[in-house]
Amino acid sequence: MAVYKRTYKVYEGALTPSWSRFLVLSRFSASSLFDSRRFTAFTFLCLMPVFIAAFCIYAVHSSTVQLMLGTTLKAGNIINNVSFWVFLQIQVGLSFILALWAVPDMMARDFSNHALQLYLSRPLSRTEYLLGKVSAMVILLSCITWIPGLLLFGLQAQLEGNGWGGENLWLMASIVIGCLLWIAVIALLAMALSVWVKWRIAASALMVAVFFVLPGFGEIAGSILGTQWGKLLDLRYVLTLIWTRLFRIPLHYIHGWDYDGIPLWSAWAAVLGVCIISLLLLNRRLKAREVERG
Amino acid sequence: MSSVIELENLEVRLGDRTILDRLNGSLTGLCIGLLGPNGSGKSTLINTLLGFYPPSGGTARIFGRDIRGNISELRSTIGFMPESDAFIAEMSGIRFVRYMAEISGLPAREAMERAHEAFFYVGLGEVRYRKVGTYSLGMKQLVKLAQVLVHGPKLLLLDEPTNGLDPEARQRMLQLIREIRDTGKAHIVISSHLLHDIEECCDEVLILKQGRVAALCNLEEERRANKKFLELEINHENGFVEAISRLGCECASFAGGRLKIVLPEDIAVRQLYQLAAEHTVQIRRMNYRRDSLEDIFLKAMEGKPEARETASGRL
Repeated sequence: MAVYKRTYKVYEGALTPSWSRFLVLSRFSASSLFDSRRFTAFTFLCLMPVFIAAFCIYAVHSSTVQLMLGTTLKAGNIINNVSFWVFLQIQVGLSFILALWAVPDMMARDFSNHALQLYLSRPLSRTEYLLGKVSAMVILLSCITWIPGLLLFGLQAQLEGNGWGGENLWLMASIVIGCLLWIAVIALLAMALSVWVKWRIAASALMVAVFFVLPGFGEIAGSILGTQWGKLLDLRYVLTLIWTRLFRIPLHYIHGWDYDGIPLWSAWAAVLGVCIISLLLLNRRLKAREVERG
Repeated sequence: MSSVIELENLEVRLGDRTILDRLNGSLTGLCIGLLGPNGSGKSTLINTLLGFYPPSGGTARIFGRDIRGNISELRSTIGFMPESDAFIAEMSGIRFVRYMAEISGLPAREAMERAHEAFFYVGLGEVRYRKVGTYSLGMKQLVKLAQVLVHGPKLLLLDEPTNGLDPEARQRMLQLIREIRDTGKAHIVISSHLLHDIEECCDEVLILKQGRVAALCNLEEERRANKKFLELEINHENGFVEAISRLGCECASFAGGRLKIVLPEDIAVRQLYQLAAEHTVQIRRMNYRRDSLEDIFLKAMEGKPEARETASGRL
């Protein structure tokens, strides 16, 4: 087919490897998100704490900066697992807003005008479709959570020296595992809810409800039944519980927080449960054609 | 001619309902029409060929390959235009079509090139940078066609391609389909309940009724066969009927000088004119009796759908 000839021609050229097709979805999904200036601006805003943290790490190691600020700091006392935990808590909060914005938007594009059937009529499976969308989110959220976390860790290890990096190697694993766990939960849950309701605003509202309203029901149920298990409905609590253990946060840092409400294994089970339910929901609703039973 | 689509006891059940009931048949045409009333299973058949619905019994083969187990490979040779709206409203037309091409496996550069070509081919070249959501209904149909053509498939599945189009846009769509058919480089399956659309484009038609094959006929053969039946109107008889009977034609005369004639293979129409001249008879009207698609469709709708065990579906 050529513009000047205007005739139909079968394509017989080279094809891209089939395993790499899901990356087309990631690329187009991400680039569609960044078409919005507000979204781009917000993403850059999410990186501001990284620059601030990097400056802080540099400042505590630089006598010149300290002299200029008129203070004396000892890096070893300030930059530790707690400071990384605090930094990542901020990033996680920002990534929640980013996911709330991006995922329903990304999925609604395909669902609002039945475009999914066009994807699935091509050599692309449902798994590859999901992989494409998830990887777009994983890349985006990684860029504001564990990747800057590791960069800051590297900066601190470099500036601190004296084997600080080697001694705190476990912290690297905590940063990666903690953030990937968060990304998996938020990405899968947001996608499942978006696919379920197929409406951008409703999906965002549901996400907020899951994180901020559902814990209320859990608390009420817990109070009525006189049990702590209601906390399992509080994803923020569950994830924070895992994170505090991953980052070995001392108890006195988290005043007023029920550290021993539920056992750690139940928190992991709850997170795993959320991921499985999200995948089941996606498996049920992510179809080119829906069948009305009856 | 090798089969494009072969149906072998194909059965599809959705929930408790049997939507396609043991379909059999071999479709060989360049442009195949799927006809049937609403709910007869046309769209379900297309969706099954695409692997959206798994067959609950039997199977289907596309270009000789079983849809069970080869669907991903087959999809790269298929272009699908769904009946309903299917687009990404926020994307520009060209980006949307390029995106679809890249998902089909075209490298980015080729995808972009062919997306432009496809847009010009369907006649939307001027609006290709506009967002798809702003297109008119006719334009959206053409964008759907462009995304079908962009990766150059060998089989085009078009589900109600003229749905909602005004007469001019409809003609344009049918013209494009005929052009693609005439290149001979792709087979086309059109699902429609508009007999006229099918008649204009297709050389073979599969008629479904209540999920079963009601008829499968080659329209080209039908058209050729119809050329043997003539209806004539003459001013007076004057031995003309006897003369054409002697020529070897079967002939029946009716009031008002009307004649119905069955021409043998070796007799040309020109010979009838010669006989008429010899007998000083004026032929005032001559028609090929055309068994239209509507006749075929109505006949199929009146009759019982295929008997399960033996049906090939041929009329």
